[in-house]
Amino acid sequence: MIEYEAPLEKYTVNIREAILGKGQKTIKIGGENTFPFHFFEGSLPNPPGLALEILDIQPENWAQWVSEPFRDVVFDRVKWAKKCVEVFGAEVLCLRLLSTDPIGKDASPKEAAEITEKVADAIDVPLIVWGTGTEDKDSQVLAEVARLCSGKNLLLGPVLKGNYREIAKAALEHGHTIVAQASMDANLTKELNIALCKFFPAERIVIDTTASALGYGLEYTFSIIESIKQFALVDRDTMMQMPILADFGGDCWRTKEAKESKEQGILWEAMTGLTFLLAGANLLILRHPEALKLIKEMISE
Amino acid sequence: MILIGEDLNVMSKEISRAVKERDPEPIRRCVVEQTHNGMDYLDLNVGPVAKNPAETMEWLVKTVQEFTDLPLCLDTTNPVAMEAGLKICKKKALVNSASGASESRETMLPLAPKYSAGVVLSVMNDAGLPSDADERASSILDSAAFANELGIPNEDIWIDPVLLPVGVDQRQVVAYLEFIQMIPDLAPGAKSICGLSNLSYGAPRELRGLLNRTFLVMIGRYGQDSAIVSGFDKELIRINRGETPEIVNLIYRAMDEDDIDISSLAQKELEYVKTTQVLMGKTLYSHSWLEV
Repeated sequence: MIEYEAPLEKYTVNIREAILGKGQKTIKIGGENTFPFHFFEGSLPNPPGLALEILDIQPENWAQWVSEPFRDVVFDRVKWAKKCVEVFGAEVLCLRLLSTDPIGKDASPKEAAEITEKVADAIDVPLIVWGTGTEDKDSQVLAEVARLCSGKNLLLGPVLKGNYREIAKAALEHGHTIVAQASMDANLTKELNIALCKFFPAERIVIDTTASALGYGLEYTFSIIESIKQFALVDRDTMMQMPILADFGGDCWRTKEAKESKEQGILWEAMTGLTFLLAGANLLILRHPEALKLIKEMISE
Repeated sequence: MILIGEDLNVMSKEISRAVKERDPEPIRRCVVEQTHNGMDYLDLNVGPVAKNPAETMEWLVKTVQEFTDLPLCLDTTNPVAMEAGLKICKKKALVNSASGASESRETMLPLAPKYSAGVVLSVMNDAGLPSDADERASSILDSAAFANELGIPNEDIWIDPVLLPVGVDQRQVVAYLEFIQMIPDLAPGAKSICGLSNLSYGAPRELRGLLNRTFLVMIGRYGQDSAIVSGFDKELIRINRGETPEIVNLIYRAMDEDDIDISSLAQKELEYVKTTQVLMGKTLYSHSWLEV
């Protein structure tokens, strides 16, 4: 009798390995030479990075279930950051500089950079620093953050078509990694990466396709992440071989389903995150610590 | 390949103004240059013509025919304008376009046999644009059978598989390549036609011609019969005349995934190779596809 052997695919290239953080505070993401969870087929040296997010201002309109765990610390960004890491086990922290929003508080780049430095120094995990997506303002804010936190290898984003030169230049000069964001479009993702790689090292770029919550466009995000991984591994497209970030906590907790009940909200966020890991995401930014815990449990099995 | 010049188009500000003000001079320049460059047909794109459709098309057809002897391809979604134009075309004209959609079947398609014109028949139907080669096939089989019943022989049907911009959906470009190879079996005697420039819509302006020319060679190899193109693109016209066999050969080799020694190529040759790889769906498109 002929023994059956399941066919295996071999890919000859790897997703680039990006290093987040510096010194003791380092994690690696990416580096795989196969599709997510295909341990039978290739090597996936680094588990996905799981981040929790905090804001530099007090949250407004957060569902009570997601405010609850942070109620005692939202007044103080350093305490909030430490709680995420020390109590909730975040491996990466994301600081959103909402105070800098030009149609909101419009805080200065200097103020934002000082807050960032305090938070970065208080925790012993890598830090993602996120602007407001306003091209002009972000280019000033993130450049100042890069300067003040020189050498800390922060992950700075979102870097967009309209401000990639300024932010990437500052990140290059001060030793940071960046998130290149093109909304839901593989062609534009490639376009931005080509432009960046003319002067910025490819291994210090993370891709963000922008992500939507379960029931609110999740399948578009899934398809884009999946196809980027296919272009990277099957077509060996060097401009798509960067690790991928998915950032969806805010979107999840805006849904009426998440606001309805605590359990449903946590599951909503966790299932959205797990789905993106299955698509190929290498780094997730989450909002609720219980969602983080659930995903950790699921992927460690 | 039969080339149909697309430049007489109300999308152009100058042409739009000329049509509106009944000024023959810009029309003359556009017609004479395209004719001189060697177009086989001229497309007259007047848009939907909301105001005075019949009178507008009549004026334009008459004006154009004063400056050229080429046959015309009347391009409007307005059946009233279409009929007014067909009535006075001196040569066998082309109706551009009809489709499998109900409205088109009722109002546009019957005009072709009435005036013994050819008709561009697109694969669109009531459900919109079919997503792959097989769905295009089933749509066109249905529409062509309907056209035959109206008394339009396959020889007068110009099948338009609908070419989408490569920047919008690269897979559709690959599906197009598959589909044109099926046309001789689907509708023997029918011709294939496409709006070539649509391929590069949205691409950087200076690179649009390169995409269009490369694709012209590729679809020509697969049996494409005709294309609506820019009548001002002289390099495209030279390629179509067979005056650049080395470029054509290089594109064929890239299509066959031959081992091409990139380092031996001149800049222009390398661009054709890279562009072919994008249009075959081998490399993901981005606006800077030449830079990697």
